Amino acid sequence: MKRRKFLSLGAVAAAASVLPASLSATDFVATAPKAWEAASSKEAIEALFGSAAMIDGQIEIKAPKLAENGGAVPIGIKSKLELTTIALFQDANPRSAVVVFEMAENGIVDLQTKIKMRKTANVTIVAKGKDGKLYSAVQKVEVSIGGCGG
Amino acid sequence: MKIKAKIKDNVTEVKLLLSNPMVGKEEAALKKIDVSYITHVTAKVGGKIVWEASTGPFLSKDPYFMFNFKGAKAGDEIVVDTIDDKGKTETDKEVIK
Repeated sequence: MKRRKFLSLGAVAAAASVLPASLSATDFVATAPKAWEAASSKEAIEALFGSAAMIDGQIEIKAPKLAENGGAVPIGIKSKLELTTIALFQDANPRSAVVVFEMAENGIVDLQTKIKMRKTANVTIVAKGKDGKLYSAVQKVEVSIGGCGG
Repeated sequence: MKIKAKIKDNVTEVKLLLSNPMVGKEEAALKKIDVSYITHVTAKVGGKIVWEASTGPFLSKDPYFMFNFKGAKAGDEIVVDTIDDKGKTETDKEVIK
C-alpha cells in the first residue's frame, strides 16, 4: 500500500474510510472525489497529485492533431518510464478528469483509450513514477465535430 | 463486454471494449436521460491485478481500452471486472492466446 499513500493525502479521511480494508484495487472515484468535480485540468491535477514540480518530455501522447469525431477521440499513452499511476485530463468537457490508470508491477506503459471532446482543447497526462516523481505531457487536439459530453 | 488478449514475446496485449452509455450529470440533464457510467475497471490474471482504471463519464460511449503487461503465458485466463455509478458489477473472462 505504500506507493499509494499519496492518494490519501488529498482525500478526506472520511472518504478513505469508506473503502473496505480487503479491497486491493484503488478506486480513485471514491478516494479522490474532488478531482472528478474539478472543471479545469489544473484543479483536477492538484486534487489528485498535489502541486509538486513535474518533469516534461518523457511521456508520449498519441492523439490526432485533428479529431473528426469528438465523441470518440483516440488517445494513446506511451513511456519507457516505470509509472505507477497515469491520469488523463482534458479541458473540452464540463469536468476535466477522464480516467486514472494504475499500472501493476508487470505493466508496460503502452495504453490506448477513447475520450469525448466537445471542442478543441489540450489533453494532459500526469503520471507518478516508481521513483516518486511526477511526469507530465500536454497535447492540443482540434475537434471538428463536438462530442456529446453535454 | 468484449476482451481480446494476445501474447507475443512475453508481452500480453489486451483490447477491451465495455458496454455502457457513459452519461455524466451534464449530459443527462441536457438530454433528459439517466446518469450512467462505469467508475472502475480491474483486470486480473491468476487472481493478481495486472491493470486497473478509475473511469469517469468523459470516456467515449462504450469505452475502449488497450493495455500491455508482462508475465502471463498463453492459456492463462484474464478476468475483467467493472462497477458502475450505481454499484452494478459485471465480469467477463477470456483465455490469453
